[in-house]
Amino acid sequence: MRPLEGIRILDFTHVLAGPFCTRLLGDMGADVVKVNSVKRAAANNAPNSPYYAIWNRNKRALALDMSHDDAKDVAISLAHQADVVIDNFSLGVLDRWGIGFDQISATNDQVIYVQMSGMGSGGPWSDFVTYAPTIHALAGLTYTTGVPDGGPIGLGFSYNDHQAGLHGAVAILSAIEARRQTGKGQQIDLSQFEVGTAMIGVSLLDYFVNGKEAHPCGNRLPYDMFAPHGCYECRSEGDDILDERWLAIVCRDDEEWQSLCSVMGDPEWCRSEKFLSAKSRSEHADEIDDHINAWTKEQDANELMYELQDAGVPAGTVQTGIDLVESDPQLQAHDFITSMDESHPALGETFADRLPIYFDKTPCETYKRSRVLGEDNVDVLADWLGMSKEAVHDGEEAGFLT
Amino acid sequence: MRTRGEALRQTRVVDLSDDKSIYGVKLLADLGADVVRPEPESGDPLRTRGPFDEVSGESLWYSFFASSRRHFAVNETSSASLYELNALLGCADLCFIGKENALADRVNVQAALTRNPKLVVVDVSPFGSSGPWCDFKAPDLVASALGGSSGITGDEYTSPLKLFGELNFTISGAYAATAALAGLNHAQKTGEGQHIEVPVHECIASSLEHVFMWYYYHKHFPNARARALERRGSLHWTNLYVVMPTKDGAMMVTPTPNVEAQLAWLIEEDAYQDLLDPKFEEPENRRRYFERLMEVIREWVATEETEELFYKAQERHAPYGWVQTVAQVANNPQLKARSWWQATKVGDRKVRGPGVPFQFKSTPARVTDPEWLATDTSSVLDTVGWEK
Repeated sequence: MRPLEGIRILDFTHVLAGPFCTRLLGDMGADVVKVNSVKRAAANNAPNSPYYAIWNRNKRALALDMSHDDAKDVAISLAHQADVVIDNFSLGVLDRWGIGFDQISATNDQVIYVQMSGMGSGGPWSDFVTYAPTIHALAGLTYTTGVPDGGPIGLGFSYNDHQAGLHGAVAILSAIEARRQTGKGQQIDLSQFEVGTAMIGVSLLDYFVNGKEAHPCGNRLPYDMFAPHGCYECRSEGDDILDERWLAIVCRDDEEWQSLCSVMGDPEWCRSEKFLSAKSRSEHADEIDDHINAWTKEQDANELMYELQDAGVPAGTVQTGIDLVESDPQLQAHDFITSMDESHPALGETFADRLPIYFDKTPCETYKRSRVLGEDNVDVLADWLGMSKEAVHDGEEAGFLT
Repeated sequence: MRTRGEALRQTRVVDLSDDKSIYGVKLLADLGADVVRPEPESGDPLRTRGPFDEVSGESLWYSFFASSRRHFAVNETSSASLYELNALLGCADLCFIGKENALADRVNVQAALTRNPKLVVVDVSPFGSSGPWCDFKAPDLVASALGGSSGITGDEYTSPLKLFGELNFTISGAYAATAALAGLNHAQKTGEGQHIEVPVHECIASSLEHVFMWYYYHKHFPNARARALERRGSLHWTNLYVVMPTKDGAMMVTPTPNVEAQLAWLIEEDAYQDLLDPKFEEPENRRRYFERLMEVIREWVATEETEELFYKAQERHAPYGWVQTVAQVANNPQLKARSWWQATKVGDRKVRGPGVPFQFKSTPARVTDPEWLATDTSSVLDTVGWEK
């Protein structure tokens, strides 16, 4: 038994933030019914795309063409059976379909609605269109991730979509806990912009309290005096940027610093007075970086990592996706990458990076491939609404279950 | 027991987290859980994390991450005090443990799980309790390197970069909160608690958007030259989202989701250059068309004022993003209109601080003032008010 078995989720989300949220819940056993349609199944929302396949495992696929009134009737019936209805459409779409919170909660007062919009409901920007890179920019994450005086570099992947998905899961499970106490569901307005802004919460507090503004600081920490604290180039494996090998090294206290010096063979420069205290090391961090870069550049990153870790110095090679899949012994020991239960009709064998949560009593070891459009129409509508196979096939032929 | 109106008001949490999961406990505390955070009499080491209030000397890092908690000191040399600390777990619903928490090795988790069968223990560590790296040290930068996020952050002219601050540990923190609430759901339904492990390494690796897709399905992407993408600044794996310099700042620009509308806008602005060349209609030139489109947009954006361009884009439903500094975020009109900021106690002052990233309509979440319980831990349970 998985920890969320018995929870029914009607999922109207698309792209990444919402689907990542419901993937988490599906991995933990919730019955997630992913609604899609022929008309919406394009680009990354097409079930045959790898992107869709990754974020929509462990869900059942229902096709509903919401331009048909009959589809809206089915959606209303499903919402009445749902514990959770979740979407990341622009505000008001579910209301227009007749399945908004006010419409459904009048008769299903236990239902929980989560709207994961970019900006939240209300406010001058509430209609703004956002994707994760938009949020990164607006929330200060793009500005702060970079090197001093280097202009904004920002994030090369949709970090905030993952955070929004995780926050959505926390919100849903908290609302379920509240419902256990009150007997009532409720509406949750999750602004992806506010999730992103919370990620620089400490810097915002510093701004309000001290009037100080954080700026990009490369691999250093913005406030703490840790040095060295950087990525150092090691021996390359070729001429391509993907062949570069880098090693992250951090010393947080004198003990780790002394250990690092010892691994480096106690070179004379290490004994300089200016490197004796954490404060002084921090003041001379650039100089330390130069020395360490000179030391690491002809060495094998992995060998050096083991040597440093054995000596008690935090160190880790900068891993690419290839490293994570092919040579990370820790991920391999935990079977982190696993095959889906069966072949995907369009993509063949598909893979899952497993849920990084290990429950000792309710293990989550089920990884079912993402489903193609409407693949579970019969099962879902029988389970949730008691519809017969014939009625479902009639709906498919009539075009509203497509 | 405190009486509050938030979603998790009935949930009792013992917080022995370290920096890898303290954000997750904050989420639960701000959602109303009754969270007590014991610390050694010498003080919680995380109170030494900067920045600090220049008036009181208080850690702002701690004010943010350890919000809405009740705190008390444990005398580590007193068996009565340690007994009380362990007894607290007997009345808790959730307990978060972090290897680097100063008191983590002072509680007997197995005994607590036996004594309190409904208890859910969430154990967050860099790599979990097994595997060849389980004893590795991994502060945020090292976790970021090994977990894969540094490998795709930075630019060709920089080293691999970590995300600003501790964005990797807020990922593991959010995973820890999710794990705790899932475990709580099961415990409430069945009476069965459990021990849950959350390895930070895997949390980071599972939150890298395109990385595993690129490895397994790179043949589906015409621009893929290898099974991994190199670090390349803000350029998204689709090649269609990137930060561009404007006349007076920077803008995250994308022609998606409506490329035709973007082209129409460039035509209106007389900035379309050769984009209407019929050669771009040919299927073999479509990739080149998108490359050229991004080049043309870049040249045009460089002549525009940031703020004006941003609002013009959003009026057209183009998801451009104005690259905002911390000060600009602090003065953002959307956050103000949604009353997002909350009064936060720092020293003796109330200051404006970050709010909670979800609005619950019936059980609103909020940041509450920290509360300091008696340092006399011989009666912690009475002070906390939890039933024995």
